[in-house]
Amino acid sequence: MGALAGKDLGALAELYDRYGRLAYSLAYRILGESEAAEDVVQDAYISAWRGAQSYRRERGNARAWLLSIVHHRAVDILRRKTTFRPAPLEIAEAQPGEEDTALSAEKNVEYRTVREALEALPPAQRRTIELAYFGGYTHVELSELMGVPLGTVKGRMRIGLQKMRRALERTR
Amino acid sequence: MTDHVLDDLEAFALGALDERTAESIAAHLSVCESCRVEASSLSDIVATLPDTVPAVTPRPLLRDRVLAAARADGRRQASAAPRGWSFGSVRAGPLVLAGLAAMVIVLGAADLDAYHRLTAMTEERDDYSAIVESLREGGRVWYMAGKDSFAGSGGTLIDPRADGRPPFVLFHDLPPIPKDTVLTVWLVSPDSTWARAATFVPNGRDVQAVQVNMEVSGFDRCAVTLEDNPWGPRHGVAVMESRIVPPGQ
Repeated sequence: MGALAGKDLGALAELYDRYGRLAYSLAYRILGESEAAEDVVQDAYISAWRGAQSYRRERGNARAWLLSIVHHRAVDILRRKTTFRPAPLEIAEAQPGEEDTALSAEKNVEYRTVREALEALPPAQRRTIELAYFGGYTHVELSELMGVPLGTVKGRMRIGLQKMRRALERTR
Repeated sequence: MTDHVLDDLEAFALGALDERTAESIAAHLSVCESCRVEASSLSDIVATLPDTVPAVTPRPLLRDRVLAAARADGRRQASAAPRGWSFGSVRAGPLVLAGLAAMVIVLGAADLDAYHRLTAMTEERDDYSAIVESLREGGRVWYMAGKDSFAGSGGTLIDPRADGRPPFVLFHDLPPIPKDTVLTVWLVSPDSTWARAATFVPNGRDVQAVQVNMEVSGFDRCAVTLEDNPWGPRHGVAVMESRIVPPGQ
């Protein structure tokens, strides 16, 4: 990130090579459109390029920082859509992922752990978390969408994330 | 000290709060160590969610686009130095600003107020310096006159032709546009393919520069439409347009 702050294009290329595919996959999962996902990824990387000097490593890693920008931008676009908002599970099922042979075995284990932790949640908790994070719904909107009190939505988020935390801690 | 906000921290970490509530939570986090620790822990969990996404490989062209945009941005900033960092020609929506504000507070990264002040001061100056510099270097210029509700406004597409410097449109007197709509700049090829070159919202100032995200060569017309979506194919009617005449014709 120091090189990126120094406007080193090689550092930006390295950041892209390391996280570009994940950033695009996240944007595509949220938006369901390749063109919009590409725009989001480009905007996110340019924001990182411009804001690298303000990055503080001790407050979060570069991956989380970059992906949070991608997430915010993609959800912002999604919320501006006034018609159909694609449900994340439908998109995921319609667009199966590619076999990822580029990942190291260690990384594959880590990613599989996260997926399994999410999939192990009761359906209501899992869907609440997915609709919030990938679907861009606020907790109030989720309360209306799912026909449950706001407190129930908050509870599903809390318990679901707690379970994921415990599952991840067990493997670390 | 305000009351703790533990009840909303999960939704905050997931980005599932409305703008006002998110700002309120972010403000609390900036002064409350215990809530900040919990928010950071939740953010760590949420940060793993992208790992559950099916991997999709973007087109190789995207890498080139990102690097070309950064290269052009670096040169533009160098020519207009000193200036602060910004979020590009597309204005950030309220949610993005709220999200970034929250992220900035959590990360202790920067001051959004400073960003706004710097952007307001430097953008107008950059608009004028960019056009003067471009014309001095022999740039090509095409004017698009506003039509219908955009009568009286217009935009000048400027192709600086200098190495690495992107084309841009200098608009004047743009009227306000309806909520949840955007203006889109298109480049139209001879086979009538409309390519989205830029998307933006009028900033309310007399003059506004909008960077074009592709080369002008190969297109024979430019146009601006009012759209409901910042992506996808064209739906709106052109509110200004012009032929792009290649050199020597």
